[in-house]
Parts: sequence; structure tokens; C-alpha cells
Amino acid sequence: MQRRSFLAGSLAALVGTAVLGWRFWPQGRQPLLLSARDNTAGEHFAVGYTLSGEQLFATQVLERCHDICMHPLLPLAVFVGRRPSTHSYLIDLQTGQLLQTFTTPANRHFQGHAVFDAQGEHLYSTENDTDEPGRGVIGVWKLNSAQRLQRATELSSFGVGPHQLLWMPDGETLVVANGGIRTESGSREELNLDAMEPSLVLMNTAGACLSKEVLADSMNSIRHLAVASDGTVIAVQQYQGDWQQRIDLLAVKRPQQAFQVFPVAEQQRSKMQQYAASVAIHDELRLVAMTAPRGARVFIWDLDSAELRLDAPFPDCAGVAASAEGFIVTSGVGRCRAYDCRSTNIRMQPLSLPAGRWDNHARLV
Amino acid sequence: MMLKKIVYGLAGVSLLACSNSGDPYQQTSAALGEQVIYQAHQQWQASNQQLVSSAQAFCQDGQDLTQTRDDFLHAQHAWAALQPLLIGPLNEGNRAWQVQFWPDKKNLVARQVKQFLKANPEPSLADVDRGSVVIQGLSAYEYLVFDPEIDLGDAMQKQRYCPLLQNIAVHQQQLADEVVGQWQGQDGMLAQLTAFPNQRYAEPLEALTAILQAQVISLDGLKKKLGTPLGRTSKDIVQPYQAQSWRSQASLSNLSAEVESALALWQGVDTHSLRSLLTTEHAELVKQIDAAYLQAQHELAAFKQPLSELLQDEQQRKALFTLYESFDRLHRLHEKEVARALGVQLGFNAHDGD
Repeated sequence: MQRRSFLAGSLAALVGTAVLGWRFWPQGRQPLLLSARDNTAGEHFAVGYTLSGEQLFATQVLERCHDICMHPLLPLAVFVGRRPSTHSYLIDLQTGQLLQTFTTPANRHFQGHAVFDAQGEHLYSTENDTDEPGRGVIGVWKLNSAQRLQRATELSSFGVGPHQLLWMPDGETLVVANGGIRTESGSREELNLDAMEPSLVLMNTAGACLSKEVLADSMNSIRHLAVASDGTVIAVQQYQGDWQQRIDLLAVKRPQQAFQVFPVAEQQRSKMQQYAASVAIHDELRLVAMTAPRGARVFIWDLDSAELRLDAPFPDCAGVAASAEGFIVTSGVGRCRAYDCRSTNIRMQPLSLPAGRWDNHARLV
Repeated sequence: MMLKKIVYGLAGVSLLACSNSGDPYQQTSAALGEQVIYQAHQQWQASNQQLVSSAQAFCQDGQDLTQTRDDFLHAQHAWAALQPLLIGPLNEGNRAWQVQFWPDKKNLVARQVKQFLKANPEPSLADVDRGSVVIQGLSAYEYLVFDPEIDLGDAMQKQRYCPLLQNIAVHQQQLADEVVGQWQGQDGMLAQLTAFPNQRYAEPLEALTAILQAQVISLDGLKKKLGTPLGRTSKDIVQPYQAQSWRSQASLSNLSAEVESALALWQGVDTHSLRSLLTTEHAELVKQIDAAYLQAQHELAAFKQPLSELLQDEQQRKALFTLYESFDRLHRLHEKEVARALGVQLGFNAHDGD
């Protein structure tokens, strides 16, 4: 088998649909929902629940986490520290045991997202170089035989303030959302709102920049990504400028095409309050779902035609992940919900999971 | 109008009957939804209908400026009363900005009205609908009928400004009709506060969370609306032109309207209220909140002059700072203590996302 086709096959589970980790999760068992979550006392946890509400683990961590990345072969996941945290957490998904709290080198902090490569040998994390505030770094970590992550090297993200990164279907190309915002060590304060530099970068693991594209408005911070198995990339934005501006918050890069606006009707755009949180693609159904917690709306569109499929209220909606039937969406204040998208009329069902305090991202195993 | 109210009222009766589940959270959500929040929306809608008639009568020389200003103040008061009740359709799609533009640090209202009229000397309703939210709402209307730069007693000026005045009123009425329409019907907002699960709320606690959150945002807003002109954010240098409704000198009466609506949620109707959801173990908290509302009401009632005049008097400024502390107490008690007592999480990703 050619290395490229092997990687592409392995990566199928790492892009798009994102019902991940099938190699270890027993067939027929309820999917496992992974997320960061707080308790009522404001303590922070890495949690795993079945969709029927059974808690598999709730492991306390030092600070709020953001995204979760699954190991492709082993029952391991990294709960990535929310910026400007310098800590991330390697968790055993079968027991919830915290295997390792690993920290960034001096003058670096995590930006909330990371991905394992297809072999599960390396982890790539977005980081901020606080020596040169905002300079984007991709930290490269090696998972050793003792199941510990060690810093191997780092690459440039070719931009400022990198946030989410994902693999393209070839398994060798990373797509990076450079948010464009400079921040300093230990801070979330934006230093350059008048001179932001958001960009969407395609790069390889050798550290070469393959392409770098921008949107029309430099205050439109490119934050979160979803990648379909055909290589279509959806990016969602958080606009840092005036609330009155008519700014598109979704963009798409289709194979062999330029990065461009994903068309959204004004009726939906105006409900987003300039802030998109999470995005997910359902590969089989060719749908894209996005949460807008400030506008308290969840949206679903046809990925190919951009036809609106759902525009529904959902207070403080947060993480979104593709499920077999459609999407699972979590909430900071209410019950998590399942959206069954298999028929024309999308049906919503509240889930029997603990309500509220779910953080920005969710992953399904 | 009366017939409309009766029809809505009957619709409400049936909805309340549907909600008779014995779940106090569900009953409270339904009761507050129908008898406090929806009713306030209807009053706002009615005030906008009156605003349309008023603008038309004034522009056809059938009404004087004093009455026109009173009708505006009535609409503005109804809008202020809605602030602690901003859940659902009015809180979506930047609709609230179409009604009032505040804070207005750069006097955009005056600047944009001038620019708009330069580009559209006789603006149609379509021009207003297409325009910036700054020129669509009550803030622009207030500028037209109260600003010292404009003299609507002068026939030439009246002719110049009347098309905009009338079309703002119609825009407001259409907005109110659209919003109130979305409260009605099987899948309307009122039904969503009554029967669970629905597309908006999975359970009554989520609806109560939304209600409490709107109340808390409003109480926080009271602090900003008073604190900004008081100079709390500008080294104690008073900023009278940064006050909400400074042109119509209605800043304090707007604050009173907001406090009364926040109190209406707290006291509720019959036995259904945020207050009654707190158990006997929270008796001390109930006492503190009752006292905090009473204190704020008394302090507000004691002011007899407009805010702009009070700001110029050292003693009165002290009294305004005391009122600010009362608003802060109310805000903290609701945001921290009531939320905790009800088991409500107020915002998470929406306020502190990434």
C-alpha cells in the first residue's frame, strides 16, 4: 500500500464526521462524548459520558480545557488547555486516569487545539510565542513507548495567534486557522485589534507553507475549522469589530478553489452576534453545523449547496460533533441536544446528560 | 385593540391550562411568560401603534409638539420596561438595536440622522428599513422631537423632518408587530415558555435560566446607564451627554421602569414568581432582595429633577452614587445568590468563549 493511501485511510476517521476512535470503542456501545466541563463550584474537569448519560470519567484538571484530540489507535485523548494555559492533559479513556500533565516550553502557551498524526506518534498543538507575542507556533510532541508526550520540535504556523488546526485528508497537510490576534503571556487581552492578521494556512509537517489565504476584513478572526473527507474546509470566524458591520462568519475552501465566503442569508447572519463558536461536518449527510452561543442559535446547512437546513434557538450552545444520525450539541447553560438530520425535517431530542457548564468543544468516540 | 387583547388573553388561558403540570419551575415560566413578559411586549406594541398615530397627527398639524413628545415618552417608557424581559425574538437578530441606540459615545444618532437626510431628503419607509439601525429607532425619534438643534415648531423644519419621523414610527410598529407575532401560535415564544421540551428549551429550568439571565443583564445595565453619566468610568468626571435618553430627560424614569419590571419578575403573579421558587432555607435571601428593591424604588422616587441637573449638584451626585450601590446590590443578589439558589448557570461560553 502506498504511504499516501494508507495515511488517507487512517485519516478518514480524523477529519469530517469525527466519530472517532472506533478501533478501541466496542461495537454496539453508545458513543462516548468527550468534553471539558466545569462543576457548580467552578472546578474544571475532563469528562467522558455515554450519550445515554452514563459517566465514564470526570477527571479534575488544573484549568479550563478547550478541544480534545483522540489518539487514532489507542484509548488515549489529550484535553488541550484553553489559552493562555501552559498545561494540557493526556487521559486514559477507559479509566479516566490522568496519565500526564504536560506543559509548554518557556515562552509558549497552548491555544486550545491539537491533533495527533495518523500513526499516533506525534501530537501537533497550536501555541503562542510570548517572546514575540502572537507569533504562531505549532508545537510538535512525540508520544513515547511509556505513553508520555515529550516536546520534539516546533514549526511556524505562518501567521499570528493560531487557534484550531486539523489534518487534510492526505494526512500530511495541516490546515491552520491563524486567528490574527496578538496576546501576551498569561493574558487573553487583544493587543492588535487595529492591525489583526488572520489567515488560513495549509502547511506540511516538514514546516513548509503550501498556501496562505485571507478574508476581506482583517478584524474577522478565523478560529475554528472542520474538514470533509473530500478536502472541503469550513472555517468559522469571530469578528472583533463593530457589531453593526455586516460580516460573514463562515468561509469555505473547496478543493482546488480559493478560500471564500460560505453564503449565509442575512436572516441567519444577523442572529450570530458576530461570534461563531464551534463547527462540525457530517461527511455522509454532507452537512455543516455551527454554534453561535452569543446569539443562542445552532445552524445546519447543506455543505455543497449552502441551503439552510436548521436555524434553531439553543441557549449558550457550545460544542458540536457529528453523530451517526446528525449532530450532538452541548450547552453551557442547558441540556445537550441531539439533532437527527436523516430526514428533511431535522428533529431535536434533549439528551440525558448533565445540564450546563459544557465547554466550547465536544468530540464523539 | 381591545378585541385583540381579549383574544390574546384567551390564548393565554389555554396555554396556562396546558402548563398545569405541578412542576413549579414550569408553572413559573408559564405564568411569568404570559402575565409579565408577554403583557409587556403587548404594551410596547400598543405604544408603537400610538406612536404611528401621533407622528401622523403631528405632521398633519392635528396635534401639538407637547403631545407628540408625550407619546414618544410613553413608547420609550414601554421599551425601558421591556429591558429585564428581553428574551426570545426581540433578543435575536440585532432587533433591540433597532429600537434604541445606546451607548452613543460619538453622538452617532445626530450625525447619522443628518447624513441620512442629506442622502434621502424625503425618506420613504423602504429607505428607513434599509438604513442603519441608528436612524431606525426611538433614539433617532428622540433626537428629532427633543434635540435643541431642531425646532419642529418651525414649519420648514417640520416639513423636512416629518417624513423620517413618521417612517421611524411605522418601522417601530412593524418591528413590534413582527416580534409579538412570534410570541403567538403553537410554536410561538409563549408556548415555548409553557410546554416542554420544545425547540428552544429542553426543560423548564432552561426557560427560567433565560428569564433570570435577562433580568440580570438588565440589572447590570442599570449600573452602566447610571454609572456612565456619573463618571464612574471616566475618573468621576460627569458625562451628562452619555446618559441614556438625555435629550428627553427621561433617564431616571427609564431606570424606574426597568426596576419595576425586574421587580415584576421577582414578585410574579399569584403564587408564581422567582421569589416563590426559593425555599424556606433561602428566607434571608428573600428578605434581602425585597429590601433591595424597596431601597432602589425609594431612592429613585426621591429624585425630583432630571439626571442632567442632578449631576451638577454635589449632594445629589452622592445620592446618585448611593443609588448605584443599590443597583449593584440588586445585581449581585440576582446574579450570584438567586442563580445559585435556583440551580441556574448564567452564561458560560457566550460570555467567556474562545
